[in-house]
Amino acid sequence: MILFRWHAVASWTWDAQDETCGICRMAFDGCCPDCKLPGDDCPLIWGACNHAFHLHCILKWVNSQTPQAHCPMCRREWQFKG
Amino acid sequence: MEESTSLVCSLGILEKLNDNSIQEIIKSYGGFCTTTESLLNGAGDLSVGPEFVLHVHSLCKHGLQSLVCDHFLLSLEQAFERIGVTNFWRHFDSYSKVGVVQKNNSSIYDDDVQLVLCKALEEMSLEKQYQEKCLFMLVHALQLHKESMFEGKQNADSERAHLFAKYQLMVSSVLMASLPLHFPEILHRYFKGKLEELSRIMDGDLEGKNEFQDKDNMDLDEKGKHRTGEMDIDESYNHGKFSEKNKLVKHIGKVVRDLRSLGFTSMTENAYASAIFSLLKAKVHNLAGEDYRNSVLESIKGWIKVVPLQFLNALLAYLGDSIGYDTPSSGLKSPLASHLSTCSSEIDTPSEGLIRWQLRLEYFAYETLQDLRIAKLFEIIVDYPESSPAIEDLKQCLEYTGQHSKLVESFISALKYRLLTAGASTNDILHQYVSTIKALRTIDPTGVFLEAVGEPIRDYLRGRKDTIKCIVTMLTDGTGGNPNGSANTGDSLLEELNRDEENQEIAGIDDDFNSDDKQAWINAACWEPDPVEADPLKGSRNRRKVDILGMIVSIIGSKDQLVNEYRVMLAEKLLNKSDYDIDSEIRTLELLKIHFGESSMQKCEIMLNDLIDSKRTNTNIKLTAAKQSQTGAELGEDAVSLDILDATIISSNFWPPMQIWHLWHVLEAQGASRHHSMWFPEFQDEALIVPEPVDKLFSDYAKRFNEIKTPRKLLWKKNLGTVKLELQFEDRTTLFTVAPLHAAIIMQFQEQKSWTSKNLAAAVGLPEDVLNRRINFWISKGILSESVGTDSNDHIYTLVEGMVDSSKNGGNSGSCEELLVGDDEGESTVASVEDQIRNEMTVYEKFILGMLTNFGSMAADRIHNTLKMFCVADPPYDKSLQQLQSFLSGLVSEEKLELRDGMYFLKK
Repeated sequence: MILFRWHAVASWTWDAQDETCGICRMAFDGCCPDCKLPGDDCPLIWGACNHAFHLHCILKWVNSQTPQAHCPMCRREWQFKG
Repeated sequence: MEESTSLVCSLGILEKLNDNSIQEIIKSYGGFCTTTESLLNGAGDLSVGPEFVLHVHSLCKHGLQSLVCDHFLLSLEQAFERIGVTNFWRHFDSYSKVGVVQKNNSSIYDDDVQLVLCKALEEMSLEKQYQEKCLFMLVHALQLHKESMFEGKQNADSERAHLFAKYQLMVSSVLMASLPLHFPEILHRYFKGKLEELSRIMDGDLEGKNEFQDKDNMDLDEKGKHRTGEMDIDESYNHGKFSEKNKLVKHIGKVVRDLRSLGFTSMTENAYASAIFSLLKAKVHNLAGEDYRNSVLESIKGWIKVVPLQFLNALLAYLGDSIGYDTPSSGLKSPLASHLSTCSSEIDTPSEGLIRWQLRLEYFAYETLQDLRIAKLFEIIVDYPESSPAIEDLKQCLEYTGQHSKLVESFISALKYRLLTAGASTNDILHQYVSTIKALRTIDPTGVFLEAVGEPIRDYLRGRKDTIKCIVTMLTDGTGGNPNGSANTGDSLLEELNRDEENQEIAGIDDDFNSDDKQAWINAACWEPDPVEADPLKGSRNRRKVDILGMIVSIIGSKDQLVNEYRVMLAEKLLNKSDYDIDSEIRTLELLKIHFGESSMQKCEIMLNDLIDSKRTNTNIKLTAAKQSQTGAELGEDAVSLDILDATIISSNFWPPMQIWHLWHVLEAQGASRHHSMWFPEFQDEALIVPEPVDKLFSDYAKRFNEIKTPRKLLWKKNLGTVKLELQFEDRTTLFTVAPLHAAIIMQFQEQKSWTSKNLAAAVGLPEDVLNRRINFWISKGILSESVGTDSNDHIYTLVEGMVDSSKNGGNSGSCEELLVGDDEGESTVASVEDQIRNEMTVYEKFILGMLTNFGSMAADRIHNTLKMFCVADPPYDKSLQQLQSFLSGLVSEEKLELRDGMYFLKK
């Protein structure tokens, strides 16, 4: 038996502990309210506290929280996880 | 009696009378009476003329002029009645029953009728001419007398006209009074026959008879001079046709004139009018017939111009002309002929009468054609694109006649009778609906009648379950989802979308980008009031916009439903693709976006995007794999390399929910040259256990994906996709394209030729019953064979090696069989919309059961309202009453509820 080609189907998912973004309450595998296309166009970002958000969501949050932003989930100082 | 009246009349003269003159009067009167008698009954003997004139003269001298006239006219009348009328009618006696009894074989009599009529008329007019001669003699005598009296002829003409008019009146009244009932019928038949002959001549059938006709040209009409007057009318015709036609027309003209002179003016007109109309009707039916591919209106119009109008033109001209040439006998002018003499010879400026005739005829033709077409509208619309000439015709007809309501009524009844029945497939109905829209749009751009006609179809389609599915298939699929339908009917909807896109006639509800000033101005400029028939209840013009898509969406109710259904179908289609070629889907999506708005199509767009991304990612992964195998070559030893694995990576949130378990789907066999079909089973994600090497490939692929796309990872849906594999035996190799499940099964047989169903199920990770069902695929292919094992519940599957067995089992006998097997188990990969709704509804089951425990019994709408009121939190209740009802009836069939008199109870 020879296998010529196996066209499989898979779904991708963000390797995050949570299901939904804590800010917009949208699924991580979806996208933030401002985006149309999920995935690369609307990536996740992890903070130093290991909480993940849509990049666009947390950026909005961080920009509105001057001078120092905190993680919306745990109130620790927000640092992007390097 | 005459004596007394005449005495009263001549009272004035009585004074001057003396014996002498009395003697003279008596003598003259006696002479006058006898000469009159002999004149009128003398059968053409005018020898007593001079004597008669003498007597008249002497009577007039005594002022008895009116007595003379009265007596003469009376004698004329009596003579006419005695000889002429009885003879005249006797000719037609034999036909008295024709009109009543034998309408069908009347053609036998036609020639007869013509001959008899001509003969009778000839005799009659001879008789009449003779009498007129006599009358003229009287007039002449009177005139002579007058001239001698007054030395001039002041009102001699009026005297003459007066007498002739009296005579004419007498003739016609006598004839009318004795008119037999069947005479109009005879006239009608005569004209019909003649007209048919004429139209045959016009059709050029009788060209060979020219010479033969010329011989007896003269006897029918000695006034050859008329011909020159009419020549100009139809110079364009060749001489042969012309002379024949001319002769015929003249012949008819003569008959008409004779009839008129007998006072049958209106009856004659009726007769030839009805003959013309019946001929026209026959012509229209003949031309229009069952052929809808050609426009017939122009040829009918042309025919009207050539045959009846030429005929009328010639006839009217002939009658008009003949007045001038005629003997004094035709003093009576017909109202139609009266104003024709001037313009008879100029076809460029046809007379008013002729134009009136033309309009009459054309209207009649329009109406006839319209009735004909309306009666057949259903058939016409069935083959619409080909039958558009017929539609154009109908449109023009309706513009003239304005009988749109007739169309609507008849078409609706035809629809109800022929289309909206259980036997018609939804696809056919939809196609007919679309054709109807297109056809009626041509007829009536405002869409008022379309609205009326479309309503029953829409209502009916709403009651059908598969309507949405058919619509979506029609929209997106070139073949219209109709496997036996021709392709050109199927792709029409997509074409329609294309065209609308080009025309920028955007009917989307939520796109207002075309409502700029310029567009508004254009819209305002081309505004037209609604036709009178518009139903004010049917709402504004916007609703009646003739937009095919809009009209189709209105069947479903909302575009969301349609979009949803499309998404399900799109998902199925995309998952079944093994190349990443989605050009046609992208095109469809773009078109749908235009019509339904971008936001509603967003999920579909993401789905397509996934495919594009997948393609990119896939090549990416392949590239890195190739690089690594060059450098490290750590995978090189593997039996299967990463090259054979392609993946479609989906954003699962945006795809419709996948079907769980037991539902399978088959697409049509792909590629005529190979025997394979595509199978798409659906399983819970992790259920299927793929063979070790493949599984390794999967994890490898996932790992690479993870490397490229950190921090994203892949979750395999192992049961989805397609596998191409080749089975090699000693004597043959067979190529298959199968679902992963089948591949997984058959691959198990590589190491072990025989499996019990229990073990195999465990190895593949399926429940046993599912496996037993699915494995039938391979059994039907003759690859595996089934036998009952030790335990009666346990089946043993064995790989069939030899050719013999395979052929016995039907072998790879073709795609037909594959399809059949598929159909048995076929269902879609993706949960249908219905199932989705049902799944969503189960949330409310507890609510409903609770409600019914509290209230005892409830009607469906009450349950609906209560749910709406209380289920506002997650998930909010957003179902329609209809959806609820179908769910409730599901519960009833599950014996959880009971339905009595429209109320739902808990089942005890």
